[in-house]
Amino acid sequence: MIEVIRQDFDPGVLIDSARKPGTGAVVSFLGVVRDDGITSMDLEAYEEVARDELSRIRDRAMERFGLETVTIVHRIGTLAVGDHIVLIVVGASHRAAAFSACEFIIDSIKESVPIWKKEYTAEGARWVPGEHG
Amino acid sequence: MKITVRAFARFREFFGGQFDIEVPEHARVRDAVRAIARSRPGGGEVLLDAEGDVQRSVIVLVNRARVAGEARETLRLEEGDEITIYPPVAGG
Repeated sequence: MIEVIRQDFDPGVLIDSARKPGTGAVVSFLGVVRDDGITSMDLEAYEEVARDELSRIRDRAMERFGLETVTIVHRIGTLAVGDHIVLIVVGASHRAAAFSACEFIIDSIKESVPIWKKEYTAEGARWVPGEHG
Repeated sequence: MKITVRAFARFREFFGGQFDIEVPEHARVRDAVRAIARSRPGGGEVLLDAEGDVQRSVIVLVNRARVAGEARETLRLEEGDEITIYPPVAGG
């Protein structure tokens, strides 16, 4: 499942749904809004391209690590401290592939998926600088 | 000819999210980005370097496909093409 959505999600439900008969390991990464002295955060996406790019990352991970399942859900819109931002759930036969794939997916998202964060503080607003050109 | 521009994040705030611009027939990506830069006062400092080329940190897509390398300057555009500009991504 690949989604770029405004509404919240239930990580437990999505982790449970990753299990298949051949699955021996489910590894998840849950990104949440950190309290860096902010009041809220806006997430903006080029939604069509973001979904396409997430699908490409999923396909690359499936092929490279031989996975059973990959779920990626990324939120957009206005979020508060502690809110879910992104969930990655990887199901594989063995744990080594699942751990490696989960890290590969979050690193790839930060590198190429067109999503941006704007943080709001008592002093004003600031765009979170991207790490990759 | 007319092409459609889409911009995101701080470029959207500066130039607008979606609009059309006129460029010469067979214009290249660099010509289009220069036209976008001219559409708002101070736009050159946002998108171009000292030589008038597209800043390396500006990500360019044409018809939703990312344009990399030399094509960032030289790829020719067609009537009705959609060019998208955005800064480095920061999701996850």
